[in-house]
Amino acid sequence: MNMARALNDALAVALAEDERVVLLGEDIGRTGGVFRVTDGLQERFGEHRVVDTPVAESGIVGAAFGMAVAGLRPVVEIQFLGFSYPAYDQIVSHVGRIRNRSNHRFTAPMVIRIPFGGGIGAAEHHSESSEAIYAHTPGIKVVAPGTPAAAKGLLLAAIEDPDPVVFLEPIRVYRAIKEEVPEGRYTFPIGVAEVVRAGSDVTLVAYGAMLRDALQAAGALEGDGVSAEVIDLRTLAPLDAATVVASAQKTGRVVAISEGHRTVGIASEIAALVQERALYSLLAPVERVTGWDTVVPLKRTERHHIPGVGRIVAAVRRTLED
Amino acid sequence: MAFEFHLPDIGEGLTEATIVSWRVPVGATVGLDEPMVEVETDKAVVEIPAPRAGVVLHHGAPAGATIAVGSLLVVIGEAGEVWVSGAAATPRVSPGTQAGVAKPIVGHLEEGPTSESVSGKPRALPLVRRLAATLGVDLSTVRGSGPGGRIVRGDVEAAGRGSGPAERVRMSPTRLAIARNLTRSWQEIPHVTTFGVADPKALLSARSLLARAGGEPVPLEALLVHAVVPVLREYPEFNAAVDGDYLVLRKQLDIGIAVDTPEGLMVAVVRSADTRDVAGLSAEIVRLAAAARARTIAAADLRGATFTISNIGAVGGGYGTPIIPYGTTAILSVGRAEEKAVVRQGSVVVGMELPLSLSYDHRVIDGARGRAFLGAVITNIEGITK
Amino acid sequence: MEPVRILDFDGRLLGESPLGVEEIRRLFAAMVTARAYDHKASALQLQGRLATYAQFEGQEAVQVGGAAALRPDDWLVATYRDAAAMWMQGYPWDGLFLGRMGDERGGSPPPGVNVLPPSITVGAHMIHAVGLGWAERLRGSDRVAMTFFGDGATSEGDFHEAMNFAGVYRTPTVFVCENNGWAISMSRDRQTASETIAQKADAYGMPGVLVDGNDLLAMFAVARDAVGRARRGEGATLIEALTHRMGAHTTADDAGRYRAEETLDEWRLRDPVDRVRRHLQATEAWSEAWEHDVVSTAAAEIEAAVARAEGLAPFGPGAAFDRTYARPTTDLEAQRTALLRDLGGEG
Repeated sequence: MNMARALNDALAVALAEDERVVLLGEDIGRTGGVFRVTDGLQERFGEHRVVDTPVAESGIVGAAFGMAVAGLRPVVEIQFLGFSYPAYDQIVSHVGRIRNRSNHRFTAPMVIRIPFGGGIGAAEHHSESSEAIYAHTPGIKVVAPGTPAAAKGLLLAAIEDPDPVVFLEPIRVYRAIKEEVPEGRYTFPIGVAEVVRAGSDVTLVAYGAMLRDALQAAGALEGDGVSAEVIDLRTLAPLDAATVVASAQKTGRVVAISEGHRTVGIASEIAALVQERALYSLLAPVERVTGWDTVVPLKRTERHHIPGVGRIVAAVRRTLED
Repeated sequence: MAFEFHLPDIGEGLTEATIVSWRVPVGATVGLDEPMVEVETDKAVVEIPAPRAGVVLHHGAPAGATIAVGSLLVVIGEAGEVWVSGAAATPRVSPGTQAGVAKPIVGHLEEGPTSESVSGKPRALPLVRRLAATLGVDLSTVRGSGPGGRIVRGDVEAAGRGSGPAERVRMSPTRLAIARNLTRSWQEIPHVTTFGVADPKALLSARSLLARAGGEPVPLEALLVHAVVPVLREYPEFNAAVDGDYLVLRKQLDIGIAVDTPEGLMVAVVRSADTRDVAGLSAEIVRLAAAARARTIAAADLRGATFTISNIGAVGGGYGTPIIPYGTTAILSVGRAEEKAVVRQGSVVVGMELPLSLSYDHRVIDGARGRAFLGAVITNIEGITK
Repeated sequence: MEPVRILDFDGRLLGESPLGVEEIRRLFAAMVTARAYDHKASALQLQGRLATYAQFEGQEAVQVGGAAALRPDDWLVATYRDAAAMWMQGYPWDGLFLGRMGDERGGSPPPGVNVLPPSITVGAHMIHAVGLGWAERLRGSDRVAMTFFGDGATSEGDFHEAMNFAGVYRTPTVFVCENNGWAISMSRDRQTASETIAQKADAYGMPGVLVDGNDLLAMFAVARDAVGRARRGEGATLIEALTHRMGAHTTADDAGRYRAEETLDEWRLRDPVDRVRRHLQATEAWSEAWEHDVVSTAAAEIEAAVARAEGLAPFGPGAAFDRTYARPTTDLEAQRTALLRDLGGEG
């Protein structure tokens, strides 16, 4: 099944097994969500547990925050990452902060699901990849799956997590990747990256929609005799530095891939921790393959912004030049 | 006990305040939280209430003065109490003030001991790797002298020194063993070499006599051993080994004979040389040399020499500075007998000279002793008779 | 709209009292105690022992009267100016002091006290009360959530979103706007073009009530009605309580820069504590000795709380790493180690 269905499955499992789980979001009930991730859930579980909300991102997150403090497990959907900004205050000032400012007395175990990334020719504001903003925020966890099975497992883990999770869903691979997804409840651990393809010459670190590109690049490189190891980060905060560093020590070459803007992005963090902990193993500088520090261009030219297989391969070649 | 109260930051980041008026003069009583002094800040005029009930003993500054946040504002104590500056309790730093300069927190995630021990690959900074590449140095062959075995610049430079285009040849186990032993000798034993010359006439004529008699060529080494053995009896420290604080005087005279082989110099051992006559020595030496060259010599025959004789004359050598085999205290090197201009009874005549070089362990053998031993050897060589 | 009033400025009943004499005495004692806390906190701030403190003198009736209508297990989400309301609902003095002293344990009331730490951001917290009440309803309980906020907060977008959600989902929320006429230096008439804040309720499909916030009995009556509605599942109410802030915005503020002294004098005549005292005096339910007793008992309790709060050893430098998630992540542990190493192993 594809990722949208896998996520739907996860939500259904959560709603069925934990009566504390409540979904809130715009158009998630009757319509089943603009990406159909919540399709059929309101029918099954009722209006009180799958709630269509007014257009009010801050209010949605704030209300869910109150629910979480009261002991429920709300799972909120914000329609696009670009629309999450009105809710940013609630997320940073309250959701991520309540445990700290009440010294654990009050907590906010909730999930905020947000489709993100471009490459679907969407209108302005709909192609954001600003996940670094949330990864930079203390008190929340940020997860970004790249494949259906991981997505389901991670979402179930996020719902179970005692801390708030911003759960980013890569829009352009909602339906593009299909794989076997186990039935029923299972979880993938948050904060753990996985080496999804072993290799020895270079490490490609990716997440979300870029994982697919990274794997494609690895395939292309193999034809040229370059063995690429691919890491699926899965969680952006807390980031699994150990897995990345071990791979860097093994291959000596790292290419960090992120659709987000270049400066102060996830790839920057990868570069920082690789040079901090694997410098003596490096055979070349860490390459960052990222979006640029410009607003994401519209459909006609967005492909120049969003990294593709070509840019990844070129970056790998640069690491081999030495 | 007098309580010293310092001007707090009463308004989010203020640094000073001006005293407008004192509500309570020195000597008067003030109740807890009662108005004590009026001060003016950038933001407002406020009245600071007394933090303690008691008698005001001291005003930190008069009306009209501007004082910095943190400086003494007032001292409150008991009636009749005398307050001396500096004598009271240490000033309380109120929450609003900075307690000195904050230490910069330099976060630095430390490279743990296990963090780079993966895979045994050479560890080196990229700069050092670049240097190695330029110099043609293979990092996997370089031993790192940096922290945790890291290869530093100096290691690479040393490895690359003097290397132009070159062929790297791995040494054979035999060569490596020889190298190891010589290194040990050289590092541990203080060598002194003393030189001497003997008239080989008697030696050479004895050899040809014996050869004619036995039908086989007699190796010179056999006669040399014969000449040296009695001297070793007389000078036992030359047939010894140093073991820590001990000098081990060997009872057996197992004389090592240096044999030159394609693999390198080997020392074949003539056991109990003092029990053999010249014919016996000759036969044994011939046997050992042949076995060594054929590489069939037993390991036991290569071990345990108590004194070594090296006939470098056989390959054209003269004087030398032989290296004492580890575990012994001396070695005699014998060069080729050659015609030389010699002085005899005041005249220069042509004579034969046999150059001798004796290296000995100066820890246990002094110069005089060394010269005496060599002198005795020379005497025996010159007086050698069948 | 005329504000609901039950006690006139001289303390005479204009209608039926919603409370018996004993109850009024109890709430009067609470207001007097709250005022003692307010004075002590102000003094502490001027002595540098508290960080910035927001005084509420003059607003005791709003907070005490409003909170008195709640059940002990109801939720309260209030602001940095609402110490009286929070204390009424069970928040200990210690916690209130600790919060202002800069210790996160101040945000941690005892179990069973459903009062969130005071909201410092303006206007973001009312939606939390909406969510809390909504959750209680989903769980089948009849707990309500009351939230206090100032007139300034009604300009924040989150006020609108909170009211809208409460209206749409009929959440058991009681919105109490303490309209003290000022948001720091911005007067209420420049905060909104509406004639009243109460009338905004109409836009959200809920009743809006204007009340004389300095009238303890009116405040209590109105709050009780709103709480009752919410508990019965009839939805939310917006209460606009007219009151006055006798102090400055905070002790870092100079109110003289924007407010005339005469205004203060007018409002002093309507002081909420004085009004109830006059009422009690008229019914001979008050004596100076009794009030003095109340004040000195309160003062002693408050002093003890100050001593406890000041005596609490502060967190060590590594403590923040434990408060960020349920369990510190590997990276946070590494950061803690780095910090402690740089500090030379303290704490």
